Amino acid sequence: MIDFARVQKELQECSRDVEASGIKVAPKSDNLGRLTGTIPGPVGTPYEGGTFQIDITLPDGYPFEPPKMQFATKVWHPNISSQSGAICLDILKDQWSPALTLKTALLSVQALLSTPEPGDPQDAVVAQQYLRDYQTFVGTARYWTETFAKTSSLGVEEKVQKLVEMGFPEALARSALESVGGDENLALEKLCSG
Amino acid sequence: MNSMEERDPDQEEPQTTDPNERIILIHPLAQGMVVIEGATSLESLLRDMGNKYGQPPASKASIEAMPRVEIGEDNKDGECAICLEEWESSAIVRKMTCKHRFHGNCVEKWLKIHGNCPVCRYEMPVDDEELGKKRDGGDEGREWRRTEREIWVSFAFNGNRRNGDSNENPSSDSADFSPSSPSATDYETES
Ligand SMILES: [Zn+2]
Ligand SMILES: [Zn+2]
Repeated sequence: MIDFARVQKELQECSRDVEASGIKVAPKSDNLGRLTGTIPGPVGTPYEGGTFQIDITLPDGYPFEPPKMQFATKVWHPNISSQSGAICLDILKDQWSPALTLKTALLSVQALLSTPEPGDPQDAVVAQQYLRDYQTFVGTARYWTETFAKTSSLGVEEKVQKLVEMGFPEALARSALESVGGDENLALEKLCSG
Repeated sequence: MNSMEERDPDQEEPQTTDPNERIILIHPLAQGMVVIEGATSLESLLRDMGNKYGQPPASKASIEAMPRVEIGEDNKDGECAICLEEWESSAIVRKMTCKHRFHGNCVEKWLKIHGNCPVCRYEMPVDDEELGKKRDGGDEGREWRRTEREIWVSFAFNGNRRNGDSNENPSSDSADFSPSSPSATDYETES
């Protein structure tokens, strides 16, 4: 049985210092067993400027078992699968401790972005590239950040405006944007398809 | 092993891969194979394997021996790091050897899974009997770990020698192992 009282406390604590840490955790539904974490790409790395979403599933034994975390945003990193987003990080496996929290675990994931460990890879292809051709690795990682981890710099109102200019009614544009989490390209797709 | 050590590297078959750069682990039961390329440190690999399953549970005796202490007015700041509930004064809690305090229920549940302090990872005594039982009783994880270690030792002779020779920084001058290069000679097994 998940300790939901603790999860609630964690969410409160996390939202209190979201300004300082940049780390967000939000439930996907109201049962708190599935959440989405958000971490900013660390400054001075190829992930800088990106915002990375992480799917979190809490096992029944949480916090005595580690949360399951997986990148939902595609990322190019030796310890993260470029296909599935699976993360190779000891504290999410055998080195978990119940004194860790979703926030501290996400901070560790963020630290992993800064300090790849190609000797213990999750994605062998990325790790090989990292070791043999570091410059190309940096280029690819940066390109993936630009392509997959950067939401448009436009604010919501500007996005609505853009869609209205394309000829969609404002209310429809707004609800389409909301339903896809603010991504204007997805919103446009949605508007066009139905 | 000795004959390998004394062999002139130039006389090796050209397609033989330097064992320093590719480590092949074979699980004899499952017929599975793990290939670790570019592995640079034998020790770190061994250490990683040793930690693969985390700290074993604490012994029953050591869990029972943890003193029960009362939360007083002077030390009620803070919380149980497991359930995140703040201390209430005059509550009776358990204190580990490392001085970290937790609710009895909270910490006992954890120590029966992994016998270390959630905060500082101080390691509790392990029940030897329990461990032995698991190993003989076919705990696959532990069996696997032990097997890996044995195979590992058979590679260590080569690896160490070459490490000492010339390969201070294998990542910068590693040979290229294209998918076509492996041949039967690469797949050394435990011998
Ligand atoms: Zn507690
Ligand atoms: Zn401790």
